[in-house]
This record gives sequence, C-alpha cells and structure tokens, in this order.
Amino acid sequence: MFGLILYRHALRLYPPLYRKRFGEEMVAVFRELQAESATKGMIAQSVFGVRETAGVVAGALRERWRVRGDDSVWLWFPTRRFTMRNEFRFPKTTAVLMTIILAGVVLAIQRGEAIQGSLPYANPPVGPIHPVHSALLPGVLFGLAFFYAAGLIGWAILFALRRSGVHRLDETSVQPK
Amino acid sequence: MEFLPLTEPVLLILLSLAGQPRHGYSILKDVEQMSDGRVMLSTGTLYGALRRLLDEEWIERFKEQDSSRGRQAYRLTARGRRNLQLEVGRMKHLTRLANLRIAVKGA
Repeated sequence: MFGLILYRHALRLYPPLYRKRFGEEMVAVFRELQAESATKGMIAQSVFGVRETAGVVAGALRERWRVRGDDSVWLWFPTRRFTMRNEFRFPKTTAVLMTIILAGVVLAIQRGEAIQGSLPYANPPVGPIHPVHSALLPGVLFGLAFFYAAGLIGWAILFALRRSGVHRLDETSVQPK
Repeated sequence: MEFLPLTEPVLLILLSLAGQPRHGYSILKDVEQMSDGRVMLSTGTLYGALRRLLDEEWIERFKEQDSSRGRQAYRLTARGRRNLQLEVGRMKHLTRLANLRIAVKGA
C-alpha cells in the first residue's frame, strides 16, 4: 500500500501529458506486479522496489528530456515563453504580476497621500477636494478587484466548458497529416 | 528505418505483441518468459517504449471487450509488423554471416 502511494507520487515526475496518457495504466500494472512480488519474499520485493524506482526516475527524465528536445530549435533563446506546450499550466506568472502591480498602485497612492499630508498649506486647505482624494483609493481597489475577479470567473467558465486556450491547444494535432 | 536496429527490450516487446494483443502486465510477463528471466522490465521502461512505439505507429491501442481494472491492450500495426520482419531478417543475415565466419575460422 505504501509502495503504491510512493509510486503514484513518483509518477508526478513525468510530464503532465504523459501522466494523463499512461498514468492509470502504469498504476494498474504496478499494482499487479506488487501483488505478485509480495508472494515471493523480502528479497524479491526489494529488487522489485529498486527496479521500479530506477525505472520511473529514468523514464521520467527521458520523457522530460524528450519534451525539451522537441524545442531544440529555440535552444539559443531563453526559451520558455517561446515554447507552445499543449498541457495545462495555471497562469501563475500572470497572477503574481497582477498582485505586484496592484501592490505597487496601492503603495503609490498611499505615498502620494502621505506626501500630500506632509506639505505645508501655502493656501487655506480646500475642503471639498479632500473627500474626493480619500475616495480614490477604495475606488481603484474596487475596480482592480472587480476586473481581476471578472477575468478569473471568465477563465473558470471557459475552463469548465473545456474551451480555454489550454484545451483548444490540446485538441490541436501536432502530427503532420 | 530510423529506429533499426532495435534494442533488446523493444524487440522483445514487439515479439510479445506479434502473437496477440496484450496489456502491460501481460507484456512484462511475456518478455520475462521469452528471455528466461534475463530481461525484467520496469513499468517506467515498458511505458517509455510503448509511448515511442505508439507515436511511431508501430503499435496501437486495442479496445478489449473486458477492459476492467484500467487495462489497455496493445497490438502491432502493419507498419510495426513490417519493421519487426525487417529487424528479424537483419538478425538472420548477421547470424548466417557469423556462422559462416566461425566455420571458416574453425576449419
């Protein structure tokens, strides 16, 4: 049982497409082999464990290398952004960049307000303008949060309908006709 | 033929599928039996080879009537059979040549 759990984890070393294609089968075959080795004693079980571990690690490296090898045309570029991959990737970079930009905007507004507060009033303070400035920050925040949430919901709907770019790319045949 | 000569595991896998469609576990056991226990493939090695053979259309997935327990059978395609015959022919030629050379040397 423990071996099976480890094996499932080890399969994560493979590229996602490969796991999707062969993962369940490999687990099914592993289960049968494991049941068989369990009847043959400790040494057979140990040999089986070592062979499977080595096989999975070597196989995963080979598949990873193959995926990289397909991009050999781009090897002289820092490649990842140039490489089309028909496999699912959560847009982590986009989320991180949007968060950094949001934080930057918030900081800039706060800093602006602090500078404004520290300035000596050469003229009498203008009352009606102040509430307008204080309302800016929540408005900007709300706008950003709204568009961020709308984008996320839209993407989730497309993903649920299997119509996201990832899915359409996945349906694209890469084999020559 | 880009993939000829074949490695021993791949040759044994193809030979295993030459007789009948088989699923993964059955291929492993047949390979082990054919090589008298000398070649024992791991699942990683087996499915790496199957992936490559599928991509090259030497084998294909075969829908079994009893496809329970996540089993998936494979069988040779016409292309795979032709390439296997080429490889066996090449090996026959080598064996014949080797026998001739050994016989001449021994005489």
